[in-house]
Amino acid sequence: MTSPLLSLDGACLALEGNAGLIEILHSITLDVHSGETVGLVGPSGSGKSSLLMLMGGLERATGGTVRAMGQDLGTMNEDALARLRRAHVGVVFQSFHLIPTMTALENVATPLELAGRPDARTRALEELDAVGLAARAGHYPSQLSGGEQQRVALARAAAPRPALILADEPTGNLDSTTGAAIIDLLFGLRDRHGATLVLVTHDPDLAARCDRVIALRDGRLETAAAA
Amino acid sequence: MSLRIAARLARRELRGGLKGFRIFLGCVILGVAAIAAVGTLRESVRAGLATQGAELLGGDAELEITYRFANETERVWMAENATRVSEIADFRSMAVTGEGQRELTQVKAVDAAYPLVGAVGLSPDMPLATALAGAGGLPGAVMEPVLANRLGIAPGDSFRLGEQGFRLMALITREPDPSRAGFGLGPRTIVARTALDGSGLLAPGSLFTSRYRLDLPAAADLDALAARAEAALDGTGARWNDARNASPRVAEFVTRLGAFLVLVGLSGLAVGGVGISAALRAYLATKVQVIATLRTLGADQRTIFLTYFLQVGLLALLGILGGLLLGVGLPVALGPLISARLPVPAVFAPYPAPMIEAALYSVLSVLIFTLWPLARAREVRAAALYREAAGARHGWPGWPWVGVTLALLALLIGTAAAFSGNLRLTLWTAGGILGALAALSLAALLVTRAARAWRPRLTGRPALGWALGAIGGPGSTAAPVMLSLGLGLSVLAAVGQIDGNLRRAIAGDLPDRAPSFFFVDLQQDQIPWFLDRLATDPAVSRVDHAPMLRGFITRINDRPAREVAPGHWVVEGDRAVSYAGALPARTEITEGTWWGEGYDGPPQISFAAEEAAEMGLRLGDEITVNILGRDFTAPITSLREVDFSSVGMGFVMLMNPSALAGAPHTFIATVYADSAEAEEAILRDVTDRHPNVTAISVRDALLRVTDLLASLASATSWGASVTLLTGFLVLIGAAAADQRARSYEAAILKVLGATRARILWGLALRALILGAAAGLVALGAGIGGGWAVSHFVMETPFTVIWPSALAIVAGGIAVTLLAGLAYAIGPLATRPARVLRGRE
Repeated sequence: MTSPLLSLDGACLALEGNAGLIEILHSITLDVHSGETVGLVGPSGSGKSSLLMLMGGLERATGGTVRAMGQDLGTMNEDALARLRRAHVGVVFQSFHLIPTMTALENVATPLELAGRPDARTRALEELDAVGLAARAGHYPSQLSGGEQQRVALARAAAPRPALILADEPTGNLDSTTGAAIIDLLFGLRDRHGATLVLVTHDPDLAARCDRVIALRDGRLETAAAA
Repeated sequence: MSLRIAARLARRELRGGLKGFRIFLGCVILGVAAIAAVGTLRESVRAGLATQGAELLGGDAELEITYRFANETERVWMAENATRVSEIADFRSMAVTGEGQRELTQVKAVDAAYPLVGAVGLSPDMPLATALAGAGGLPGAVMEPVLANRLGIAPGDSFRLGEQGFRLMALITREPDPSRAGFGLGPRTIVARTALDGSGLLAPGSLFTSRYRLDLPAAADLDALAARAEAALDGTGARWNDARNASPRVAEFVTRLGAFLVLVGLSGLAVGGVGISAALRAYLATKVQVIATLRTLGADQRTIFLTYFLQVGLLALLGILGGLLLGVGLPVALGPLISARLPVPAVFAPYPAPMIEAALYSVLSVLIFTLWPLARAREVRAAALYREAAGARHGWPGWPWVGVTLALLALLIGTAAAFSGNLRLTLWTAGGILGALAALSLAALLVTRAARAWRPRLTGRPALGWALGAIGGPGSTAAPVMLSLGLGLSVLAAVGQIDGNLRRAIAGDLPDRAPSFFFVDLQQDQIPWFLDRLATDPAVSRVDHAPMLRGFITRINDRPAREVAPGHWVVEGDRAVSYAGALPARTEITEGTWWGEGYDGPPQISFAAEEAAEMGLRLGDEITVNILGRDFTAPITSLREVDFSSVGMGFVMLMNPSALAGAPHTFIATVYADSAEAEEAILRDVTDRHPNVTAISVRDALLRVTDLLASLASATSWGASVTLLTGFLVLIGAAAADQRARSYEAAILKVLGATRARILWGLALRALILGAAAGLVALGAGIGGGWAVSHFVMETPFTVIWPSALAIVAGGIAVTLLAGLAYAIGPLATRPARVLRGRE
């Protein structure tokens, strides 16, 4: 059996809040294999987004281990984590998180430029074209609608052909029609590039499209069942 | 009723504290403080001069006569009007020790009544009369320690002035009546007037000033007395001064320097204005939702405007109060320290005039820089709640607001002109500031455009790409950063260029063109030996000599001269007058005809062409010159080219010899020698042979001028530093306002795989580009300003002073880098998840 792409073993996350230390995640153990699509579900505040952040090395586990692409994220510094993401991970956020001072094209080209790709702009334009936004390449995020911004974010996440795509409620800020279109695009990109997809969602229909659904409650793993 | 509602709304908004207004307040406080501090210093010196006027003057009033002692009429007039009179003679001479060491000194020969007011401080402590009585068969003298040091003598040693020996009895620790405007060529020596009788000094025709200090009856009406003095002494060349204006030159210098520094301070207010405007825009941007909600609830545009106008007003008031506290409190608190370093007396206290001046400037500046953002805030529509485009826009607010802003600007310039008393200087300064602001705005626009144009071509260089994206993209802070930093740097660059060029003109070229020495008080019978000594010296390349008298131009075409050419330096004091038969060598007649050798007709005057043009004089105008109390009237029959810039011999007025026949006079000579050893030998030979002759080393005089210029440049640089400090504050404000955006950007870049070093490099590049651009524009503005001042005001050649110029650009880069990187630490250290979650 091949080793998992993502592997969490007793991973915990506690964050300092105004009221003191808050335990967000309690001893999470799970594996995600290459090519899988995994839906993370659970009520608000259950720790879904935090778990996704741990997987991407955006947050550091305060206990246990998190391994991605065979590397222990807990032993890596911020820059090593950044390099790992550059090479293997694409992230899509609920709030899009495009860089406001960059055009759509520049936003998509940035991870490619970071990777030193000489054809960054051409590739970025192709990605934008793939999400139907080639005509808006020169527009700044403030000039785009929410759905358009999320499509740019999808193009940006997919552009470096990552092995792992992490999507945090990518339709949370969108209406149902636009949201459905975004999900189609997301799954389309995943299918085209064969990436592993971990998706946080509240939407049962969307979760149902995943190979496996993991439910969280109060920071603990509730179920890990195949869909 | 919208004012009451607006006041209520403003109060509610301000309940949140002043967090968003720190930079706003900082800019107002610094701008007000700088102007108030300069004004307080100026008023303190004025008050010092006024309260210690009698001591500075040496009496309640003074009669000053050039070149002679008072005549019988004048003495009778003084005896009738004063209760006590003290006579002193003030002149330059050479102090020579037994070892042959010689130094130029400003001698004050005093009578027994001196000083009428105050006391001379001596070390060792003794009464002045005891010191001047002398010891060991020699009359006594006291001198400033610096002179004794240069001569290498101490109390008890002897030296001579002219042919008279003196015993140095003590060193002067305090001279109550220095009677110099902070600039004298020689340090002071005080001797008894009676001791000079056998010295050969003060011979007829020698250059000296006699001063008569008067103690007036307690009930004397100074105005009436001044009028009586003018009437009684009209035409004698005697000048009246009273304790109310004891040091008119110092007072005028302080007033002019103060006015100039306040104008420099205005550039600080302009920079502060940029910061105020940026801070207000940033604050209003956070209030778009609030304004839109208020609009939804029915608030009209006027209410919205007033709500934020009242907040701005209250904050400006707080800033002005803080600025006044700092700008007045600091000089007053440091009064004793500052007084000890000032060459003039000062009474440090809070004075209302500078406070009103500073407050008025700031109110106008705040209004000018806040009206546009406030006007745009009115335009926020309720739709901004759900559509960003309906929020506040930037830029053109419409004609009425532009009109009001221009009117306020005109009022500010008018106020500055009224306070400084110099419309031309104010207009130049205002033009300079507005020009620099326009150039910097244009440069900021070009830099953002260029950044936007270059960004797509930078594939493979992501750090540079981010830097250009941040400069050229939405929410760019390029304009406030370049304006705030650039204006401060422009002022510093201009000061550096002007100062450098002046120094170069004085210390660089001039010593090569200027003579080594001026010899004054040469008697007619000493001239043959003098010329012979120099003719046989191979090191001497040129010797000029001419008879010299000093006189006042009292009337022009029978009208008072000061009425005809008010404020012109030629009519402000006594001027050197000479005579010549044949046209002197190197003299060029530009208009009229020279009288020619052997001319024996009615008196004629040849006048310096440039000064004649400045004073509005033409051929045929009648000039009356008072020399030694006697009026000489003659028409101008020719105009000559006179170059005063090479410090050679130059006379504003030349007359034909027979016109001045019989007037006692001495000769002045300039000597051009090409080595320091030769100069030393000439000085020794001439003053040994003729002890009455005074030698003035041009090199020493130039050093004093350079020192004075250095002090002026330093004072101006301090003024400019406040501008730069304000600029730095605005820069910090821009960096702080930008930090949230940069943190967000850095978090996303980390998600996308950028390392911290790369992000830091991107932030540094951005600071480097903006700093270099601001520095380069400042350099251009500084060089332009420097050239204009050198060309139009100083009339000296201009060369770019590169060390200063490069320092400005480097400074610009360093300052922006410092501010940028100080605020980069946060974005780099934060974990991306925290930042991004905060934006969800």
